[in-house]
Amino acid sequence: MPSANCQLLIYTDKFAARNSYVRSNVLKILVCMKQVPQKDAPLKLNDAATWIREDVSYEVNEPDAFALEEALRQREKHTGEVVVITSGPARSQQVLREALAKGADRAIHLEDNAFVGLDAFNTAKAFAAAIKDEKFDLIFTGLQSDDYGYAQTGVILAELLGWPHATIIMHIEKNETGIRVKRELEAGFFQYVDMPLPAVLTIQSGINKLRYATLIGIKQAKNKPIRKIALAEVQSAIGENLQKIERLYVPEKTKKTVHIDGTPAEIAKKLVDKLRNELRVL
Amino acid sequence: MPDAILVVVEQREGKLNRVSWETIAAGQAIAAATGWTLDAAIVGENGSALAAEVAAKKVTKVYAVESPKLEPYTPDAFAAALKQLIAAKQPKLVLMPHTYQVRDFVPKLATAMGRTVISDCIGFKHENGNLLFTRQMFQGKLAADVSFASEAPWFATFQNGAFRGDQAEAGASAAPIETVKVEITDGVIRNKPQDVFKEAKQAVDLTQAEIIVSVGRGIKEQKNIEMAKQLAEALGGELAASRPICDNGWLPMDRQIGSSGQTVAPKLYLALGISGAIQHIVGMKGARTIIAVNKDSEAPIFEIADYAIVGNLFDIVPPLTEEVKKAKAGS
Amino acid sequence: MLVFRKPIEGVERPQMPADVVIVGGGPAGMACALRLSQLIEAHNAQNPDSQLSKENIYVLEKAREIGQHCLSGALLDPRSMRELLPGFEKEAPLDAQVTKEAVYFLTQKSKFKLPITPPPLRDHGNYVISLNRFVKWMGSKVEETGITIFTGFAGAELLYDGDRVTGVRTDDKGVDKEGRPKSNFEPGYDLNAKVVILAEGPRGSLTKQLVSKFDLTKDANPQTYGVGIKELWEVPGGRIAPGEVIYTLGWPLTAKEYGGAWIYGGKDNIVSLGFVTGLDYPDPRLDPQRVLQEFKKHPLVSKLLEGGKTIRYGAKSMPYGGWWAIPPVAGNGWMILGDSAGFLNSARLKGIHLAIKSGMLAAETAFEALKKDNSSAAILAAYQKKVESSWIKDELWKVRNMHQGFEQGFYAGMFHTGLQMITGGRGLRNRYPAHAGHEHMRKLSELPADGGDEAHLLGPAKGDGKLIFDKLTDLYHSGTKHEEDQPSHLIIHDTNICNERCVKEYGSPCQNFCPANVYEMVDDATQPSGKRISLNPSNCVHCKTCDIADPYQIITWVPPEGGGGPNYDGM
Repeated sequence: MPSANCQLLIYTDKFAARNSYVRSNVLKILVCMKQVPQKDAPLKLNDAATWIREDVSYEVNEPDAFALEEALRQREKHTGEVVVITSGPARSQQVLREALAKGADRAIHLEDNAFVGLDAFNTAKAFAAAIKDEKFDLIFTGLQSDDYGYAQTGVILAELLGWPHATIIMHIEKNETGIRVKRELEAGFFQYVDMPLPAVLTIQSGINKLRYATLIGIKQAKNKPIRKIALAEVQSAIGENLQKIERLYVPEKTKKTVHIDGTPAEIAKKLVDKLRNELRVL
Repeated sequence: MPDAILVVVEQREGKLNRVSWETIAAGQAIAAATGWTLDAAIVGENGSALAAEVAAKKVTKVYAVESPKLEPYTPDAFAAALKQLIAAKQPKLVLMPHTYQVRDFVPKLATAMGRTVISDCIGFKHENGNLLFTRQMFQGKLAADVSFASEAPWFATFQNGAFRGDQAEAGASAAPIETVKVEITDGVIRNKPQDVFKEAKQAVDLTQAEIIVSVGRGIKEQKNIEMAKQLAEALGGELAASRPICDNGWLPMDRQIGSSGQTVAPKLYLALGISGAIQHIVGMKGARTIIAVNKDSEAPIFEIADYAIVGNLFDIVPPLTEEVKKAKAGS
Repeated sequence: MLVFRKPIEGVERPQMPADVVIVGGGPAGMACALRLSQLIEAHNAQNPDSQLSKENIYVLEKAREIGQHCLSGALLDPRSMRELLPGFEKEAPLDAQVTKEAVYFLTQKSKFKLPITPPPLRDHGNYVISLNRFVKWMGSKVEETGITIFTGFAGAELLYDGDRVTGVRTDDKGVDKEGRPKSNFEPGYDLNAKVVILAEGPRGSLTKQLVSKFDLTKDANPQTYGVGIKELWEVPGGRIAPGEVIYTLGWPLTAKEYGGAWIYGGKDNIVSLGFVTGLDYPDPRLDPQRVLQEFKKHPLVSKLLEGGKTIRYGAKSMPYGGWWAIPPVAGNGWMILGDSAGFLNSARLKGIHLAIKSGMLAAETAFEALKKDNSSAAILAAYQKKVESSWIKDELWKVRNMHQGFEQGFYAGMFHTGLQMITGGRGLRNRYPAHAGHEHMRKLSELPADGGDEAHLLGPAKGDGKLIFDKLTDLYHSGTKHEEDQPSHLIIHDTNICNERCVKEYGSPCQNFCPANVYEMVDDATQPSGKRISLNPSNCVHCKTCDIADPYQIITWVPPEGGGGPNYDGM
């Protein structure tokens, strides 16, 4: 159990100025990260029109970068370990390298092209299988991915592990019984929730400024371990996908532009009429 | 017995969340296409009281799922409760609105039942007896038609605005209401939520706005933005801008829409004095309805606008704001 | 208020020792790193007792990814790659081997094919490549050797100790628009290096600092430049064969401007086309991006592109000055490679092979310096000698006066070029003088108000959305992105000149020559001219045109926060 006494720990790293240090139990945090096509990348459909062609530039899913940043800050406050995990082809290792350069301690790479085609359910199952021998206190994911935008993997993972979870988290405070998190709701509402550990949290984007990797961080990252897991190792945990993309396509615009003419007063009336009766926004 | 669709409506602070009507409309549309029946469910303490409102719509039955442990909302309780309901009533398809709350529990519910959710859908297709759900991918750049490859129950959530709440048909007579008491054993609920509170947001999240009034260079001077702000307020929407306006410091960066700002897909996007450079368009072309006001008839914005007003925005906006205020006051 | 980027003062910077720092991960920098690794490995195999380490050899690349800022036509002469990696053709990404070339002289509506392709433009044996993809491949080979490439880090300043270059300071990250550190501020590192190698491409910013500090160009001709504006297209099949090369002269330029176009057929129906305009044109209203759009209207091009789709857009300057414009390339602790030095053959319009060769020669010298643990000017001078006795000199010597011959216009230039070809490059005298390009720019008062014969080149292009694009639309396809909240990296040393003099004398040409809409004169009633200079630094594509072409020479381009810039995927 966490001791009631605290010890002050001075860090030599520059974040010392920002946070006071109270040694609590160490926190072992897993951050699930995904590599997605770059935001502005022109996308081309594959021949079957069920996915995009691979010859595009990739980057880290931005919401996951915020999840990583929060994990690194929690480790700075409480000491512990930050482990990053991703699933995907060889190219997705880049996401892990960048995370290690920013300060993550080690990485796990479920490496195979086939992971790209797994649905959220199977991805979560693969992750659960990959970490079955580890004892994490917290698992963070980003809010959702920029490619699928499902926002499900974290919640599914929590259910598979039998852990409590909370989503769209703005703030995390560790306390004696576990954690108190601040959850964002719609329309400007928020809520604090007390939860025991271990737990899964999906982290809201924009809650922190993302740190930069430093030259020394990049150099050190080269020596940090990346554990590779082949598809075969988790094959028994995953099954057939429960949903299927039948087709992927460029959304058609069946727009015909309607011109609204007249005097300003006439235009105003015509427009309000449309807003009220056709568009139902009034 | 025909398959059944179950729409789980959402309540907030003792009132029905209006987006629930959209999900009912969606359910009715799918029922019409497939020939399946449509039921509804309401979860939580005030369930029975609000069930009557739902029962007035054209649905076969309304379930009021009750347990004292359902208040306040926790994902553990809602998932447990709905799992019991669904196991008992065995719907083929379960529909919900894609709200923050639904996102918080429906993947858990589906997983607990060994099933899957197709979330944030913008429509559906019924082709050759197959039901497909359409959703946006890659931040709206592409669309996908997704099918279920599993057994029932199927779970799907619909995006805010994908269907029109006012198109939820009323029933000829009130549907029967069945109270379903669910058992939530001790230890199931692990989260302890505190009271909900409101806080001034530090940054505006335009992606949540249903109506956006956006200004571009055509606004000419900073002081003219007030005119656009009045229109936005009258409409109950948010103010946004294209890049140059924010670069000038006339509006903060979190109001910028475009490739270097936010990408939005609101119900209504009003572009005032915006030329439609591609850098801006990519941030808003997913809007359901686009109205553009620009004095240049060749401005590229008109290529993607649903309604085009070629004219001087300084002449057009003030009377428009007045008419909007009148319409709102009258209704 | 415009706040310009400069290194934050009074902050303690992390110190990192290095043996060699190569600034720039383009073909020259990568070739240098690869060659250095080969030499070290060979040495280590022979000398188990005195091993050299690659641990402290670094390449600094300002782009977020290797190759992201690399743009060229491009045609690769494989000569130096074959020396560096024999058999490289088997694994390098090459689009096509050149199958045929044609040179056309264009008028507005017709074209005249030159009966004989001038020897410098004969490309048999060369490859059509995407420089971006090629450098990505080179980078993967460098990483395999264990040399660290730091992507997303720019060389912001050189470090000196007297007349010695002692290292490179990287960019400060997390600085806001007003020049203040943000909460995620990271100061640039001081990489204290035995050898600093500058491979920054044309008009390198550190190279400019170095040249200025040690007055390196006092005996050289001023460097002169062109700017290449490129678009990558996907066209319907059958229009152009992979490996087909077309050069054009003439239209849309007049006899007063220097430049021409290229069209290269790549694979999968991808076409690389672009227009190079010499940055010594007289009319300040000329817009190089407009020149490319006008070029595309010619039937030769419009027929090729019809029904096609633009994939990407970009721009980059290139050094034309030739042999006499190259400054000393080695000194106390430093060497300069590739386009930064000016190793470009302006007759063949090729520099990649020379950049690679220069990288190899510098690597050999750096290797010697590491072995001797001595990187003084005396040791590094070996690089200068190697260049002067290599085929770099042979090649560049023959065309040493080529661009200067055009200072009096097209016809004079053709005359001089013809003469130079039969005199081994000499022409009328061994060394033709040159003037910096911006000195050719005329004031508006000296030019016809309507632009005269140049009217169709002046001012911004108006797009049709299908074949011709306005600058902002083209810019979107450059994929350029920067951290928005940072100081301007385009440093204007006296904005009063912009607002009061230039606006009248030259009509603010920055709005025209910048291919990225960075510069804009906006209305400002408080200014005597009614206009004020305004910047959109995050549009910048890092071409350096402004640093080169501004008639008052008051613009200094420095690298923005590392990781920002264009995304030249496939270029």
